[in-house]
Amino acid sequence: MKNVLQWNPPEGLQEAEVTYTVQYFIYGQKKWLNKSECRNIKRTYCDLSAETSDYEHQYYAKVKAVWGTNCSKWAETGRFYPFLETRIGPPEVVLTTDVKSISIVLTAPEKWRRNPEDSPVFIQQIYSNLKYNVTVYNTKSNRTWSQCVTNHTLVLTWLEPNTLYCVHVESFVPGPSRRAQPSEKQCVRTLKDQASEFKVK
Amino acid sequence: AGALAAPQNLSVHSTNLKHLLRWSPVVVPGGTVSYSVEYQGEYESLYASHIWIPSSRCSPAVGPECDVTDDITANVQYNLRVRATLGSQTSAWSTLEHPFHRNSTILTPPGLDVTKDGFHLVIELEDLGPQFEFLVFYWRRESGAKEQVKTVRRGGIPVHLETMEPGAPYCVKAQTFAKAIGRHSAFSQADCVEVQGEALPLAL
Amino acid sequence: GLRRCLISMDMHHIEQSFQGIKRAVQAKDTFQNVTILSKSETLQSIKPLDVCCVTKNLLTFYMDRVFKDHQEPNPQILRKISSIANSFLYMQKTLQQCQEQRRCHCRQEAINVTTVIHDNYDQLEVRSAAVKSLGELDVFLAWIDKNHQETSA
Repeated sequence: MKNVLQWNPPEGLQEAEVTYTVQYFIYGQKKWLNKSECRNIKRTYCDLSAETSDYEHQYYAKVKAVWGTNCSKWAETGRFYPFLETRIGPPEVVLTTDVKSISIVLTAPEKWRRNPEDSPVFIQQIYSNLKYNVTVYNTKSNRTWSQCVTNHTLVLTWLEPNTLYCVHVESFVPGPSRRAQPSEKQCVRTLKDQASEFKVK
Repeated sequence: AGALAAPQNLSVHSTNLKHLLRWSPVVVPGGTVSYSVEYQGEYESLYASHIWIPSSRCSPAVGPECDVTDDITANVQYNLRVRATLGSQTSAWSTLEHPFHRNSTILTPPGLDVTKDGFHLVIELEDLGPQFEFLVFYWRRESGAKEQVKTVRRGGIPVHLETMEPGAPYCVKAQTFAKAIGRHSAFSQADCVEVQGEALPLAL
Repeated sequence: GLRRCLISMDMHHIEQSFQGIKRAVQAKDTFQNVTILSKSETLQSIKPLDVCCVTKNLLTFYMDRVFKDHQEPNPQILRKISSIANSFLYMQKTLQQCQEQRRCHCRQEAINVTTVIHDNYDQLEVRSAAVKSLGELDVFLAWIDKNHQETSA
């Protein structure tokens, strides 16, 4: 639910001294509203997360360019519906290994917060049917397999000792197709099996 | 309507929610006949003064067949009709004798590949598209073993089913579930794999 | 009590059909300061007990008024609307069975919500009202998706 308006500079003015001004509109309300932090700015993006934090409303945004004494028309977005159009971020993934097992602990992604002190809202509180797709790659056998889970801990057992496994996790919400972003791939090595070490000697 | 003959013997062949409308070709020596297909859902019949809608893929169609899968998208009756065109001549419409309902689609058992990665039972199911899920039944082939069931949302990717213990084969069978019509296919052939027992470490 | 009346159907295709027309239809809606469904206090305030009745009433609203009042020249958009309309017809039949089994009771709260929506519709010229309601289908579909899941109590 971090919602950032982005745009490209006007044709042929990529290098020019152009400034931009942004306004936004809450669908069903009466008038366009100014975004003070995005008045006469040089960058080509504007964070409207605070203004669009009520994800069950819908919004429009528009931006105009000023170059010297020239002022462009407004360029307007389509209707933006955060509840359906936000991208679901990956969970936080913590892996710990043992000889033949890897424990995976997931923390649900958080909704964007206005202030760091605000108490966190987890995406699961908005999408109650949030699930995770855990993908595991065994670098020794070169095999990949995945598992769909709903709870936040998963223990992979009976793995091969002293083997590098790579894991990435994607959150997804069944229902309207929402874009998802997988977590970074993390690789961990299972511990050596002392017993078999002793057998080999 | 010109002297051009109308297409005959219209029929729908539907498997795994893929629907093909077929008819007998209109043959005109030396001429290339094309066809137009239109459809009408129950909504159009009941609420929209029986309008007909041009098929998304076959207006026009060249051969005596039309994939109407993207047109038949709801659990209601659909009327379908075809007419032939040759140059400026156009035939009368031929309408499917009985309206088609996608509930009648034939559901085939899914392709199922059962493998293992070490002690892990891994399967891969045929990718039939987003309209299908799979019910996967698996059991350890030994007396008294209970059958487990898991829903797999998508085909085409390897899915972890179970962590196996040595000493007995694990068997798997699956059926497709067409979410749109709430029907299952028959089961696929069961397939089994076994992990070899690991030699127990020497007692110290 | 009687099991809740839920539409168990694959909403995926209906949502895809809407995504296919969203930009085009919403672009025709020039009255951004007016909504028909979207007021928070309308749909979001509905209690589980009223979900069935409101769903049925809104399906009827779309089939009897919106789809009829909207004249669509573009065949691609017409096909998508037909797909949604026929899916709504099926959903309505499903809820009809519930009503016959007395599991789709209409309380005053549900009737009030429906009345507000019809009143919003009547405030606008009919073509504008129809195109606006079409453009707000995502709100209705998201509400159905959220309220007709087994887990949503």
